Formats: sequence, structure tokens, C-alpha cells
Amino acid sequence: MELFRVSRDIYGREVLQGMSWDLLWVFVGVGCVLIVGHALYRLILAPKQR
Amino acid sequence: MTTPSATTGGSATADRIVRHALPDRLLHWLCAACVLILLGTAFLPIVGVAFGWVTIHWVTGLVLGVGVLLHLVRVLARGSWGSMWIGRADIADALDVAGATMRRALPQRKPGKYSVAQKLIHHAFAVVVLTTLVTGSLMLLRIDTPWWRRNPYLLADSTWGIVYVLHGLAALVLITMVMMHVYFALRPEKLKFTRAMLLGWITRREFDENHDKQRWRVDP
Repeated sequence: MELFRVSRDIYGREVLQGMSWDLLWVFVGVGCVLIVGHALYRLILAPKQR
Repeated sequence: MTTPSATTGGSATADRIVRHALPDRLLHWLCAACVLILLGTAFLPIVGVAFGWVTIHWVTGLVLGVGVLLHLVRVLARGSWGSMWIGRADIADALDVAGATMRRALPQRKPGKYSVAQKLIHHAFAVVVLTTLVTGSLMLLRIDTPWWRRNPYLLADSTWGIVYVLHGLAALVLITMVMMHVYFALRPEKLKFTRAMLLGWITRREFDENHDKQRWRVDP
């Protein structure tokens, strides 16, 4: 998986075009993992709130 | 005596305490709507939903910028800048929460108006949203608008690359942050804060149970 999008200019040099959009699903996945992890923690391990 | 980290500004009736005034709530929901539209117009085309997104995106970005400016002006005008400051008491709160989590017990300390977690998420949103706004403003110079013709040669290609990377990275981080923000807003124990962002108030009992009245001075 690439981190960045790059292209080449008219002289053949690499030009940075931005973040790789493959990372979209990484950030969505991190959000899901954090949410499920916290929900499980609250459900199983955490004491009841006052 | 008011402690250095004490925040004021709440007002109370017999059983309700104002947590968010109407202008603050309107600004919050305006900015929230803008962020969702910006994320949608940025990422839906990437996942294959094709539509003319560019104009909606930059106009919404301008509206978000105005919303952030209004928020800053309001905070400065009210002198409530310090309510989001993370002070010694907040660090003690964080240590208390960390210790309680390790012991699987409830924290002993109560926060002021905002918990450390709420202050941290505010600052994280501030950094990420300001990054998207600054880089987005630069990128706006590369497209035609009613006010100027595009100028793609303002910066060197390598500099534009950094601008694009920062804009994209901030947008990606924003996805995770929005997911977390919505999740916590919908958790049962946090619904009082969501209600306060919708209707403005928390109950006197919620105030007594969850807040240190020395650190959140409520007008009688």
C-alpha cells in the first residue's frame, strides 16, 4: 500500500500529488477498531458509571 | 474564590443549567454539517460516487471557515478562552481517570465544565480543521472562483505537493475523529452532553453528579 500519490512532471521528475486514497479504508478501519474496542471495554471490564 | 481553571458562563434555573448557549449550539451544528458535507464531497467520488463535487466542496469550506471565525470572535468577545485550557487540575483529572481505569474503579475527581477528554478532542479538531482550512484556502487559488482566476503557479510543484499531503492527511484523520465523536455522542452515559448540544441544558442532578462546582461556576 502506497502512502502518497506521485506523478511525473514534463522533465520526468517525481511530483508529490497528495496522500494515497488507499489509506481511506485504513482510517475508517482505525475508527471502527477504536469504537468496538471501547464498547467492549465498557461492556466487559469497566465499572458502572455513577 | 475562583480557581484559575474555573469556567463560568453557565446560568441556571431551579433544575436546569445552561451548558451551551444558542449561538454556540448553532455554530457547532453549522460546523458539523459543513464537515460532513466536506467529507462527503471529498471521499464519495473516490469510492466511485461520481458527481460535480468541486463547487459544493469549496463553498462549504468557505462556510466552515466563516463558522470557525465566528466561534473565535465569540470566544474572544466573551473572554471564555480559558475554558478549554488544560491546567494542573485537568492533568490531575487525567491521572485520576488513568489510575481508576487500571484499578477498574470509578474516578474520584469531577471535572469542571469540560473533561480533559473533551478538551483534547476540541484541540484535536481545532488542529485538524484549521489545517484543512489553511491548505484548502491555498488550493482554492488553483481553481476559478467569482473573485479570481486560477493561478496554479503561485507555489512550486513541490510546495503544492506538501499542501495536498497536509490537506489529505487532515481529511483522513478527520474521518476517524468524526466517527469517534459521533460514537461517544451516542453512548448512553454521554447522551446528556448531546442533549445539551441540542437543547442547551443539563439537569441540576447531572451537574451535581458529574461536575465540580468550584471549577464550573454557574450563575445562580
